[in-house]
Amino acid sequence: MVKTERMQADDADPTPSSAWLIGLAAWFVPGIGHVLVAKWGRALLMGGSVWLCFFSGRAMGGHLFDLSTEQGRFSLLQIPPVIGDVGSGLLYIVSWLLGWGFADDPQQAARVTYEAGTYFLIVAGLLNYLTMLDAFDIAVGRKP
Amino acid sequence: MMLYAGLASVVFGAMAKDTTRERVLYGVKVFAEFMVIGLILSWVLYFIP
Repeated sequence: MVKTERMQADDADPTPSSAWLIGLAAWFVPGIGHVLVAKWGRALLMGGSVWLCFFSGRAMGGHLFDLSTEQGRFSLLQIPPVIGDVGSGLLYIVSWLLGWGFADDPQQAARVTYEAGTYFLIVAGLLNYLTMLDAFDIAVGRKP
Repeated sequence: MMLYAGLASVVFGAMAKDTTRERVLYGVKVFAEFMVIGLILSWVLYFIP
């Protein structure tokens, strides 16, 4: 199917609401979107990668970002890493509710793996955005 | 770096291409690219004070 035909087909068939719900579920619990569309292998590989990446980051002592305003106008610099961290969905929300990884602890920051852990946490969220989009595309029928 | 490259290449490989063989090859290619570029950048940064 050429691109114009595909665009016309997309116009004719509106996105089903179940696809949006699957996308939302995929963001909330990494891997669950693919479980809902019965793609077990992808759920294990992609969701598992996100979970492993997140817990590796936590084990390294990585820092999670929130939109606290303690640093004045420099708080704006926290927006990009927050967008990355929030991608982890439930993992981020539970950590936020329990206060895991959000404190500015000098001992934690002194760890050799602190920086790498922080990037692992951000990458976990970004990978989950990709996982979410993949589950959404499958639910819509754009991908097999 | 290997763990990061492995996790990222698994996700990239799983969501790309059409057949399983193409996905595996793409994942391996992405992993190799991460490693090679990471090592080159590491050596470049090593010589920069």
